[in-house]
Amino acid sequence: MTDDNFEPKIIGFLCNWCSYTGADLAGVSRIQYPSNIRIIKVMCSGRVNPQFVLKAFQEGADGVLVSGCHPGDCHYIEGNYHARRKLTMLSDILEFTGIEPERFQMSWVSASEGKKFAEIVTAFTEQVKELGPQKKLAGGEK
Amino acid sequence: MVDYNAMTLDIRAKAKAMLENKEVKYIIGWERGANSFISRPVIIRDAGDTDRLVWNPGCVDNLTRYLVEEMQYKPKRGEEPDLSPVGIIVKPCDSKSIVELIKENIVPRERVKIIAVTNIGTVETNKLRKILQKIPQDKRAGIDILQDDNEFTIKYEGGELKVPRPELLANKCETCVTHNPVIHDVVIGDKIEGFEKDEWADVAELENMSPEERWKFWEAQISKCVRCYACRDSCSLCYCAECVFDKEKPFTWIDKTVDVSNNMFYHLVRAMHLAGRCVDCGECERVCPVNIPIRKLNRLLLKSAKDRYRIYPGMNPEDKPMFGSYDIADPDEVV
Ligand code: FES
Repeated sequence: MTDDNFEPKIIGFLCNWCSYTGADLAGVSRIQYPSNIRIIKVMCSGRVNPQFVLKAFQEGADGVLVSGCHPGDCHYIEGNYHARRKLTMLSDILEFTGIEPERFQMSWVSASEGKKFAEIVTAFTEQVKELGPQKKLAGGEK
Repeated sequence: MVDYNAMTLDIRAKAKAMLENKEVKYIIGWERGANSFISRPVIIRDAGDTDRLVWNPGCVDNLTRYLVEEMQYKPKRGEEPDLSPVGIIVKPCDSKSIVELIKENIVPRERVKIIAVTNIGTVETNKLRKILQKIPQDKRAGIDILQDDNEFTIKYEGGELKVPRPELLANKCETCVTHNPVIHDVVIGDKIEGFEKDEWADVAELENMSPEERWKFWEAQISKCVRCYACRDSCSLCYCAECVFDKEKPFTWIDKTVDVSNNMFYHLVRAMHLAGRCVDCGECERVCPVNIPIRKLNRLLLKSAKDRYRIYPGMNPEDKPMFGSYDIADPDEVV
């Protein structure tokens, strides 16, 4: 595959109450955004174990996006604060081992921010496209 | 010069008293090993056996792992659970593990009697092996290792060898933050002052490399891993009844294949599971058969926790666990 037509695979972990609804809104409002993102719905961003992110990379994802409610808005009151701590640490260790931390992003998207969601996905897809395929953590033929 | 003999006698006396007064059911400590310079763990149940206990710079094991095993022991059917306290001898670094275990409700404070020693450092077994080459084979039987602030003295039959401290000192001791136990019932040895360090050169060295160099470094290290899981098994804080890496249902998290992808996954997840908990006792690195610098991963997270959230695990049982608490004002960097 040449670099020009490289289409990254991006896994998105979206929380049920804000970001997933936000993505839904982007859909029903017919806002265009890249189809590179494969969305996995989780109940809360606090559900996202750092292991999930690493596993996604191992299975060949080129980028991982975790998105939850804005701080203070989490349906479970504090899930996104916990997620923030965990995933910040994960991003630190990714950087330390030389895996591009730019491949991993967190964002806060509320249920009414369909447009913001589309913008984030577009920008993130561009960013990952620049970096090229992720080969460091990806296993053999998957 | 640290008087290891006096400390050993002190430990024996305290252990003997504890066993005689039935304060504890047994004592976990170190005894002289078969090769005489690296001590090995021993469990003493009888007051008459306490003379086997020793304390010297070769007492490298973190014994709290045995404590965890005791606490997690499931009595067989019909067996009365024996909840009487257990005695344990710990170095300052191991005492931090106990703090962490108490914090996480694995070890109830009343079930453990802690005999803590103050310590300026233990030896690194790998370095010791090299240095021992200088001593004739037939003279290695009765080796004694002594230590003062600047050097180690290796006493053997008919001679002694002086080694500067950095050449034999365990790596973890070079960056140790406390040389006095943080939790204890009895302290053995004099209080040590002026050794505390806030030293992160080992982490900074890697941080200053370019991302590509860092990856090259880790790829080379991690590809050596044979996934014996010794680092997990020796860790006193890896106490899950079923480890994610052993889980087979509904699917396995990790393939049995030993390759960079799987090894990296293992090491990153292991480090993440210890983030904010690891007290840097150095067991993982010590037991590694292929000498992967595992502690570097732990220490990076230790440093991040300290810089970002002002959390340093293992110092106070009243502290909140890092991932069990949060602050609304936590930095929002990755968002
Ligand atoms: S429910 Fe959306 S982050 Fe917790």
